[in-house]
Order: sequence, then C-alpha cells, then structure tokens
Amino acid sequence: MTSSPAQNVQIFGIRHHGPGSARSLRKALEELQPDIVLVEGPPDAEAVLPLLAGEGMEPPVAILIYRPDQPGQAVYYPFATFSPEWQALNYALKSGIPARFMDLPQALSLAMEPVRPAGLPTGEQPVELPQEDAPEGELPEPGVLPGEDSEAEEGQTDETGLETEDKALPEAQSDPLEWLARAAGYSDGERWWEQMVEHRQDSGDLFQAILEAMTVLRSEIPPRPDPQGRESRREAYMRQTIRAAQRENFQKIAVVCGAWHAPALAKIGPAKEDAALLKDMPKVKVQATWIPWTYGRLSYFSGYGAGIESPGWYDHLWETRNDVAIRWLTKVARLLREEDIDVSSAHVIEGVRLSEALAALRDRPLPGLPELNEATLTVLCGGSDTPLRLIQQKLIVGERLGQVPGETPMVALQQNLAAEQKRLRLKPEAAQRTLDLDQRQTIDLERSYLLHRLNLLEIQWGVKERTTGQRGTFHEIWRIQWQPELAVRLIEASMWGTTVLEAATSKVRHQAAAATTLPELTRLVDQTLLAELPDAVDDLMLRVQNVAAVSSDVGHLMEALPPLANVLRYGNVRKAHSGPINAVVEGLLARIIVGLPGATGSLNDEAAREVDKNLVAVHNSVSLLQNEEYSRDWQRLLVRLAGQTNLHGLLAGRCCRLLMDAGAFDIEETARRMGLALSPGVEPPQAAAWVEGFLSGSGQVLLHDTRLWQVLDDWVSTLDGEIFQNLLPLLRRTFSAFTNSERRQMGEQAKQRGSGRVAVATGERDFDYRRARKVLPVVARLLGLPEPEVAEQKIPAGEN
Amino acid sequence: MSVSLLREHSEQQFAEELHELAQADRRTRPPNWKLSPWAVSTFLLGGRLPNGFEVSPKYIGSQRVIEIAVATLATDRALLLLGVPGTAKTWVSEHLSAAISGDSTMIVQGTAGTSEEAIRYGWNYARLLAEGPSPQALVTSPVIRAMQDGKIARVEELTRIPSDVQDALITVLSEKAMPVPELNTEVQAIKGFNVIATANNRDKGVNELSSALKRRFNTVVLPTPATDKEEVEIVQRRVASLGRALELPAEPPALEEIRRVVQIFRELRGGVTADGKTKIKTPSGTLSPAEAISVVGQGLSLAAHFGDGVLRSQDIAAGLVGAVIKDPVQDRVVWLEYLETVVKERNGWKDLYRACREITE
Repeated sequence: MTSSPAQNVQIFGIRHHGPGSARSLRKALEELQPDIVLVEGPPDAEAVLPLLAGEGMEPPVAILIYRPDQPGQAVYYPFATFSPEWQALNYALKSGIPARFMDLPQALSLAMEPVRPAGLPTGEQPVELPQEDAPEGELPEPGVLPGEDSEAEEGQTDETGLETEDKALPEAQSDPLEWLARAAGYSDGERWWEQMVEHRQDSGDLFQAILEAMTVLRSEIPPRPDPQGRESRREAYMRQTIRAAQRENFQKIAVVCGAWHAPALAKIGPAKEDAALLKDMPKVKVQATWIPWTYGRLSYFSGYGAGIESPGWYDHLWETRNDVAIRWLTKVARLLREEDIDVSSAHVIEGVRLSEALAALRDRPLPGLPELNEATLTVLCGGSDTPLRLIQQKLIVGERLGQVPGETPMVALQQNLAAEQKRLRLKPEAAQRTLDLDQRQTIDLERSYLLHRLNLLEIQWGVKERTTGQRGTFHEIWRIQWQPELAVRLIEASMWGTTVLEAATSKVRHQAAAATTLPELTRLVDQTLLAELPDAVDDLMLRVQNVAAVSSDVGHLMEALPPLANVLRYGNVRKAHSGPINAVVEGLLARIIVGLPGATGSLNDEAAREVDKNLVAVHNSVSLLQNEEYSRDWQRLLVRLAGQTNLHGLLAGRCCRLLMDAGAFDIEETARRMGLALSPGVEPPQAAAWVEGFLSGSGQVLLHDTRLWQVLDDWVSTLDGEIFQNLLPLLRRTFSAFTNSERRQMGEQAKQRGSGRVAVATGERDFDYRRARKVLPVVARLLGLPEPEVAEQKIPAGEN
Repeated sequence: MSVSLLREHSEQQFAEELHELAQADRRTRPPNWKLSPWAVSTFLLGGRLPNGFEVSPKYIGSQRVIEIAVATLATDRALLLLGVPGTAKTWVSEHLSAAISGDSTMIVQGTAGTSEEAIRYGWNYARLLAEGPSPQALVTSPVIRAMQDGKIARVEELTRIPSDVQDALITVLSEKAMPVPELNTEVQAIKGFNVIATANNRDKGVNELSSALKRRFNTVVLPTPATDKEEVEIVQRRVASLGRALELPAEPPALEEIRRVVQIFRELRGGVTADGKTKIKTPSGTLSPAEAISVVGQGLSLAAHFGDGVLRSQDIAAGLVGAVIKDPVQDRVVWLEYLETVVKERNGWKDLYRACREITE
C-alpha cells in the first residue's frame, strides 16, 4: 500500500474517467477504511455534494460552476459511474464519512481569468461552446490546467501561441502519460494506460507504482510554462486542504487526485510557502449546481483534458469483470441483429478467437478495443465498415443520458433567461397573449431573436403566427404563453450552455452535425437565421455544403437555395453575415445547373409541377442575387432545357417564358418556339401544359404581340371538339389566373380577330336548352359578343 | 532455379529472406507453419532482424490489415481478401502462402468456367476405364494436395466461380475434409492447411458468395493507398518502368502532373477534397492506382506521338475523362460537378479545367 511521508495520508493517483483506476480505487478505499476523502475538484461545489447520493441522481452528470453575473464564464466537471472521483465521493457518502473537494476554488480560478467586455447585448457576445473548445475546468487530465483550457476557449491571443506549440509536441506536457506510453512502445497514452491499468483486475501496488512513475516523470520533464502560477497554486491549495484535514485530527486521509499531482501531494512540506502563494487572491462570486450530461458529450472532449473517446467501452469495462471480449462482442452482435444484420453465435465465437489471436500477435495479454473492432469488422461485418459506425455511435460512445435530483438548484441558463426577460421587458406570464414585433426596432428584433432561440432549444414559450400581406416583411406575430413545464425544459437545455445564445448555438451545431438530409438542414438554416446565431451559421453552412455535395435530389437543392439567396440579398435587414453563405449559394447553384437537365426528363404532371415551382423560385433567387456569372450560367441552362426533347410541356413553356422575359429570346424566337410546341405533331395535353407554363402568372404578353396571339389562336381553333373539352379545365386554369382586365382585353381581342370561330359545334346532344339559355348572356358578355337572340322555336317541344 | 524464368514465385525470389527469418524466428509456430505469425507479418511488412538482416517490405500500406490476415490464418479460419482491382490482393495472398507454407503454387484460378473438378478432384479416364475407380485413377486438385500436405491453398477471383461450384468449398472449410464417395473414402486435411481466397468487391455480374460460405471466411478488405504520398510514389515508379518498356521518347512525366492525377483520383474515390473541406460525389468507376498509372501512361504516349514530348494537361485530360466517366449519364454529372465546384476554383488548375471542359461538353 501507499506509504507517504505524512503517516496518516494516502495518495491515490488516478486517471480521470478510467474504469480500471475507479475499480482499484474503490477496492483500495474499502481496504483502507479512511475517515475522510479528499477529491480533486472544486470546493465551490461542496454545498451541492450531498445531492450526489440523492434520489434520482444518475450519472453521467456534471457539476456546473458559473458566475451569476457572467453566466458565459462557466466550468463543467462531468462524472460517469466509472469515474474514480465519482466512486470516491460515492464511497464517502455511502459510508457516512466527510468528503471534500480540494482543488483551487473556481471562485479564485475564474477571478484569474480576464474579464470579458461586460454589458454587451447578448446578440454580440462571443459565443463559447464547451463541446467544441477546450473543456473549461473539466476535471483535468494530469497536468492540464483548467486555466489553460479556459483560455483556449477564450481565444486569448497571448496563450494561443503556447497552446499550438503544445499540440505540436506529442501532448507531452498536457498528457505526461503519453510519454510513458511512447517509452513502452504504444501509439497513444490512452491505450497504454488501458492496457497497463484499466484492464487489471487486481489493484496490488498499483497506486504506489503510479506515484513512483509520476515522481520520475515530473523530475524529467521540464516544467510547463505557468505564467499565472495557476498550477502551483492549485497544488498549494490541495496541500493546504490536506493540512487542514490533518489539523482536524483525521487519522486516515484518502487523497484522490490526477496521477500527475500525486508526487506534489505526497511531500507536504511547510505550510508557509503555500499560504504565501494563495494570499490575497482575487475572488468572484460563483454558484454551483448539477446538470445532466451524456456519454456523447463526454467524448466531445477528445484530445483534451479528460475527454475520452469511448465512454461506452469504459462503461462496459466497468460493468464487466470477466470475459470482457466475449460480452462485448455479444453486445455488438445484439446491436447488429436489431439492425437486421445477420450475426450468429458462430460469428461471435470466431470474432473472439480472432481478437485473441490478434492480441497475441501484438504481445498483449487481452484483446483491447482495437482488436475487438478489427475482429468485428472482419468476422461480423464481412469487411464492411458501415455497421462499424453504428457500433461506434451506439456502443463505443454510447447514448446514455444522466439525470439529476429534482431539488437541484437553479441553473445558469434559467438565470440568464430571467435577465434577458427583464432586459427585453418580456415577462413570462401564464396567460396567453399576442405580440406584434416590428423588426425595424432593436428591442423587438431582439425579442424575436430570443423567442426563436428558445424555440430552437425546444422551449416553446412563443408560437410564431403566419403573417399575411405586406406587413410580413417587417412584422412578426407571436402568441406567447409561459408554462411551468418549460422550467424543466430549461434545465434539460442547460447542458447546451449557460446563456440562451450559447445554448441555442451549440444545439444548432449539434443538430447540424446530426442532420443527414438537405430539407432538414434547410429548415434549420431558416430557424438559425431567424434566431440570429452567427456562430452557428458557419458550421451549418459547412454541413449544407457537404450534404448538398452528395445529394442526388436536385429538388432538395433547389429548395435550399431561395432562403439563402434571400439572406444574401436582404442580409442587412437581419444583419447576418454573408461570407460562408456566398460559397454555399455558389456551390448549390453550380450543382443545380449540372443536375437539372438530368432531373427534368420524362416527368409526370405532378412531378413537373413540383419542379416548376422550384424552377421559378430559383430563377427569382438568381435574379435577386444580381450576379452576372450566375445569371449567364442560369440562362444557358434554361436555353438548354427549353430545347430538351423529353421535357414536360409545363417546364418547356416556363423556360421559354422566363427566357423571353429576360430578353434572351426575342419575340420572333418565342413565336417560333410556341409554334413548335403547339404544332399538330404535339400531343394536345402536352401543348396545353406548354401554354400553361408559358402563360402562368401573366397573360399580358399575348395582348402585346399579335404573333403569339395568332399562334395560340390557331392552335385552339384547330383542336378537335372532344379534345378541346378535355383540355378546357387546363386552359381555364391558366386563364383564370389572369386579372380581370387582362381577361376582358383578351376577350375583346378574340372578338375582333377570331369572331365566328369562337363557337364550337357540340353536336346533337340531349340538352336542357331552357337552362342552357340562361347562361348565354353571361358567356356573351365574357367573350364580348353581342347578346344572343335565341330563337324560342329551336327548343324542341316536350323537352324539359 | 533457372535465371531465365520470366517471373519467379515469391518463395523463390525471396528465398534468402525466408531463410533468414526462419533462423531468427524464436516464437511459437502454429503446426506445419514454416514461420511464426510474427515472422510472417514481418516478411510482408518488412523490417530489420536482430542480426541486422534487412527484410524488404512486400506490402506497402496498413500494418493492421496484414496483422488481421495473419491472425485469421493462425486461428485456422479461411481468409477472404476483398478489394478493388489493383490493391495487391493476389500479391498478398501469394506472399502469405510463401511465408506460411513455403509454397505459393497450390492455386485455383476462378473463372466463369471453373468446374467442380478444379476444386475437388477429377478422374484419369483411361485408368478409370481400365482399372475401375481407384485412388490411382483420381486426379487431385490443388486444394486436395494442400490438404494432404498441410499447406495453404489459394483460390483466385472466388466470386467469378459459379455459385454451385463455390459451395464445394463449404465442406472443406467446415469439416476440413473432402469426401470421395466413389471410393467410399475421404481426404482429411492435416494441420497447417488453410484457404486464402481473393475477390473483387467492385465488379458487377459476379456470383455473390452464399451466406453459408461467407460465414466460413474472415473478410479483410484491402484498402486503396492511405496517403497521397504513397500513391504518387507507386504511380510514379510504375509509370517510369512502363515508359521504359514502351520506349517512349517523351520526357519522364513531371511529378506535378502525376500529383494532379493522383489527387483527382483520390478525391473522387474518397468523395472529399484533399483539404477535407468540400464533399463531392463519387463516380461509379473504381479509380484504382492501376488506372491512374494508365492515365499517365496514355498521356505520355499522346505527348510523345502527337505533342511536343512534354506531358501537358491536354494529354492527361482525355485519359482522365475516360477513366472517370464510366457511366455516360451519372458519372458525367459527377464529373461536371467536380470540375465546376473544385477544379475551376483551384489555383494553377485553370489549364486542366479548360482541357477537361473542352472534352466533356
């Protein structure tokens, strides 16, 4: 067992989130029977510590420490069941002995951080994302200073240089174990530790060995630059905590810390120096609480601090004592079967054999995750790595979501929302009311942002109503109503961040990463732009670009373009920045232009209508963008489409019209094409669709040019009676969209030019002539003909 | 061993290396293996022996892949090497058998016409008629010989063999025995016997393995080269030897052009640009290093016979377009998108863009 200069102190150097060290630690604690446990962690959180054993507490969870006045400055300390710290605290609470955190309090730590410019409106605050950046104050990997991490997150210039340098080194300073691993011939530290420590079922002299290894390592590695003296202060504070415990006459003090710190705590030394180091440190007010965490977010931190790549695998190692490989592959087999991939027990047997043979070939005592993954790939998946991705997501990382007890204190996000509500004078009320936001006014615009952001976080305080008419441009109508369960949603959402802006941004990023189809992303883009989340836009655009690149559905591409084009054009209304959007729009348009001719061949009526809608939308967007190159390419495409032989009439007509309006086709060319489309060889429905496509929207063109009129008129006149009847609804639909005056003018024109031809023989049928006669005056007026004088005697007697 | 052989087997060509490895090898060998699994993977991947002897690398690429293959054979599971054409499947299979059994010649070449006799056994009909069924009248297949000697049998292009013939392997792989009902006997494999099969996972119109057979193989997919550096090197070396063989008067190809071809191939194959920033669609063709070699080779010959002897983008373009557009409709869209969204924007690629656009339009 560990012996240390101070007789009553036992040091347990552990690896954060290591199931092996957790198991060894728990066993060692049970043997030692300490009367107090000191754990590396924030003393600020001691008040909420008892909740750890509370009803409904279920890891993974995290301690959140934040400044109530600066909720953006926050620190997360995640715990999983297999975290040694969790096990130590759990042991202490279960055996009824005191447990204390001994790290430098965040009240002091956060005070050392530069204060960010205060008083900025939320919309302009720099957004920080714990999962994207460093794990601020994450229970640090041995040697990682939370200060360093949080500065990386701050994007501090003076420290950034150091950060990159450190990364260029094989993480030697931040992950001292890496060096030991390299020395032992392993490719990375995690695997080495896993092999040497985590897989051990017996703890033995483990902690003594770790202490010795770290002592040697610390004497060999040059000290890490520590400009603010943060690390020395942290260790000083830890020693002070140990001294305090000694003064209180605790006889068996168990100290649990990252392996790196173990040597520094083993030699306690005189208190004077430490006291001097910690003297007169500035302090800020902080609050601590628990929030639910997920395995996915544990793994986000990969490469940094206590980020672990495979929480699910560690969970498995923690839960399983024997036959780790067999049980793991059985889990894999079950998952694959759920996904309808045939996997038999024979597969599992062969998989285990292969993993063991691989481990033997690599001189390892037991197969680890790489061997098991390779066996899975080779035996269970038949060499295909697609199922492996599923395994990565569902098993290796895992999808577990933690829970916190109901009595957990309010979180920063709630406070931030309250502050926002106050600032924007938008009180949460149980009663429903309607809000009319005029976005030309800053306060209303910000209110709208807030409501949109909350909606993104699935906190539906307000529902946006559909606006109609011209007011829609600047006005948003919201129906807002605060419901008590929204508070619960807030706690759930607090895992995304400590301010509404930050949380919404990280959530959008997360959703963007998860979205696989373009329509999903298009919707998200819409919401994000409305919620004004500039920092999420870049990620989102990257996703759109990537998904668009592999999307084979031109329709989806076409749907995605118009909203983005709108932003580019009217971006200044919303103040969104347009750089990345530009690139995406260009890529989308290029893909649409390449893909459209192939996607428009041989469509049925319904599909053609769909494409037509998108075609017009894209055309409008292109005109909106006022980019010469885009317009030229787009026009070239339309010309090509107009000449495409298997194109649906509707689209051909539409292309022709768009080109004529754009001046690419003159009247002669248009008339020629119309003549072609309406020539006798063309099936009448196809021709009618052409007319619809050509005339959709406005019929003015017919009135202006007699040639076009003539072509149409000739075509209608040559139609056979029955065919005409069949086409009538289609033609009627086309013409009914015109304005009254247009229709009247057309009627007059028809009267002048085509009088005598308007009547179509209907043949002898059984007619109710009396009733038919009643509509004749209306028809006559519609067509601009003189009132008909219907001869009474024509009606056969006995009819009716 | 005659010097006039056009091509030597692996065990002949690398006899010295195998001998040195066997000398240095102190680890346990599976029954009837000439080398330990560790030494086999060293033979494939290259390395330095304790006595300073240098073993040349036979397979340049992932160490992991070779380790899985060797471990598979050590667990007496059959090994199926999958991959697109030109990823060294046959090469790996030959060298594995040479290292494990010291003999890479027990080979069945799979074709659409491969009959069951080629895998099981046939008859010497003259003897059969004269003496009736007897072991002497039996004509054994390489598989049976491998079973009798405890060696590795190789089946090339397994998926080209008709399905019913493929299934003749099932008994061999599960029972490790080959029944000969005519003689009321069987051939039982002795330890050390195993099967390495190769198959092409990109071809259409092949005979997919039955799941019964598939289950008896461990499948290892041989990847295309992992880094562009590796691939440029492979292409460059092969093109140089190709140029010599054809005695082309053209200058040796500029590394720059090869890099561009390799980059285009890698990007289209991988579906993402080299900088990892833009995704792109993947065409239906395989775009293996072998095809990159032929594109550069063709460009060289164009430059030599019709151009000024220097390889330029115009010479590359024709071969490039031909290699990428295998399906006139789908691949054309992929290629145009790639040209418009990637090549067009790239600095210093304008000449290539124009040359390709000219041909593709």
